[in-house]
Amino acid sequence: MRDLLKRLCLADGVSGGEGSIAEIIKQEIDGYVQYHTDGMGNIIAFKKGKNRAKNKLMLDAHTDEVGMIITSVTSDGFLKFETVGSINPSALLCRKVTIEGKINGVIGTKPIHLCKGDEKENPPKEDSLYIDIGAASKEAAMSLVSIGDFATFKSDYTLMGDDCVKSKALDDRIGCAILITLLKQEAEYDFYATFTVQEEVGCRGARTAAFAVSPDFAICLEATTAADIADLPEDKKVCCLNKGAAVSFMDRATLYDRSLYNCALNSGILCQSKKAVAGGNNSGAVHLSKEGIRTLAVSVPCRYIHSASCLCSFKDIESALNLAQFMCNKICSGDIE
Amino acid sequence: MELKKLLEELSAATGIGHINSARDILGRVVSPFAETESCFGGLIARIDSGKEKTVLFDAHLDEVGFIVTDVADNGFVTASACGGIDLRQLPTREVVIHGKTDIAGVFMSTPPHLSKDEEKLSDLSKIKIDTALGEKAKSLISVGDFITYKPSFVSLCGEKVSGKALDDRAGCAVLVALAERLHGKELPVNVVLLFSNSEELGLRGARTAVFGIDAHEAIVVDVSFGNAPDLPASKSGVLGSGPMIGISPILSRSVTRTLESIAQSNGIAFQREVMGSATGTNADVISISRSGINCGLVSIPLRNMHTDCEIVDINDINATVELLSEYVLKGGSANA
Repeated sequence: MRDLLKRLCLADGVSGGEGSIAEIIKQEIDGYVQYHTDGMGNIIAFKKGKNRAKNKLMLDAHTDEVGMIITSVTSDGFLKFETVGSINPSALLCRKVTIEGKINGVIGTKPIHLCKGDEKENPPKEDSLYIDIGAASKEAAMSLVSIGDFATFKSDYTLMGDDCVKSKALDDRIGCAILITLLKQEAEYDFYATFTVQEEVGCRGARTAAFAVSPDFAICLEATTAADIADLPEDKKVCCLNKGAAVSFMDRATLYDRSLYNCALNSGILCQSKKAVAGGNNSGAVHLSKEGIRTLAVSVPCRYIHSASCLCSFKDIESALNLAQFMCNKICSGDIE
Repeated sequence: MELKKLLEELSAATGIGHINSARDILGRVVSPFAETESCFGGLIARIDSGKEKTVLFDAHLDEVGFIVTDVADNGFVTASACGGIDLRQLPTREVVIHGKTDIAGVFMSTPPHLSKDEEKLSDLSKIKIDTALGEKAKSLISVGDFITYKPSFVSLCGEKVSGKALDDRAGCAVLVALAERLHGKELPVNVVLLFSNSEELGLRGARTAVFGIDAHEAIVVDVSFGNAPDLPASKSGVLGSGPMIGISPILSRSVTRTLESIAQSNGIAFQREVMGSATGTNADVISISRSGINCGLVSIPLRNMHTDCEIVDINDINATVELLSEYVLKGGSANA
């Protein structure tokens, strides 16, 4: 799964431009499942298990990542942009980016030597930032880049620390890698898998995918903010690296099904509660689909999420895979209240 | 030699304190053309033509970075700055900690739900470095270890490139290319190339090295602010429009005018950088070394100074090499 995760992370797929991610997924799952791609770009797959499921289950992971979209080109050849999904300005400043997978750029800034007073301590606002591709004029820039092109962080996939990985887009290529792994191995029960687009711009793909699949239950496989950084008190950490997958009871978009939550926590698999009502994921769209769908979120803790340097632990990825499989069997076998 | 390749190798190298692979590379690439010796963390390369006059060229090989001041049980490292660091761009920045081995680190960032909008980045000790090593960090990293930005070199449009430490490896590349260009030629002056250390800590390496060299005149090759949307034209040089010849009360007017006239007569594009006082470069100390050395300054325009994505234009480096080569062949400044 590690090689697969690397391939998925290094491919670019900003919300609305997830095509290259979908290609990798299709290559991987081809021959293991029946699948089709819907009008949004979601991949909807059916995995045949050894047994028929008592409950219809949908496992979801989103294919898109945060990034930038080019909005205009200045008279001297610099590119103005908006972020796609939320990105902290300090995570944008002085980052290398790739535009449409082919043009290198740098998000430039005024050198600190020439900043005065407050300027030195406050990251510039997003609308004052620009991408520098080295073009000497507007014409030179426009010959390489078009308005509406996507840009992603240029960041390598690096193993670091104690069995951890640093990369862009771990949110949510981790979910994709876990889901692909589940589809490629033998399943006890039938289940549906959705690889959905446009999560970072409002959980849009998951809305239509959930409608199409129309499941009884859903599990969203995600990456979520880990705030277990230095100098933060215990109660602010949300979840921690190396303590297993994080299971949510509530976030800004969803009040989760309590019996699924309890079942996950009592699974005996290393996992933790997500201890904050913060953020949101595809569960928000999925659990309100049709007449309502009982939903669980299983997330891999991720430090510095939505940056070029997302940091996750393989121990937690392993745990999320095991927990997803456990819950899959619990739900499909009907062994859930 | 291919300048872009050399620059990429130099950008990836480390030059901070005693961690100095930059000097090893420079020694290797310049030694076919000059006699090398080391000096106070730097490197001196001499092209001796047996003439009376000696012209010195200086570029600093050190880069900005950090030094470890604390390693916590949870694997987070506290650092202090070596040189001028823009704290605003540190969160989520990748670094290499030069511990027992090279160790990857990421400057931590506070998640949005915990950070306040008005939160300022004013205290480096609060932006710790995440090693993801937990308690193992203490066995691999010690107080006093140096830290540099993680190398990553990319090509941009035209001949522009982006990477760390181009301040002043771009200048170092100029000196190497100059040595190659002068090699085998009958020179009217002795040439000494100084790759100096500890510029970013206060122009230290050049101070002592130049004392030992005893040159008649000197030209410092450094970088200066390149044009960008948020910079006034008066404070910046345009990338790709040639080297910036420094004009300052502390610089030798004679050297400066000679540089200008050589550029003009050889059709080498150049820009002027006027400073009302000291230059903030090694020229400030070299000019008052011993009983005074006539000193000039040539700067390569560079964007995003002191970050890991500094940008220079290779054309400017080539033009600088050409200018300095003509300067040597003319025998330097007449009055110096």
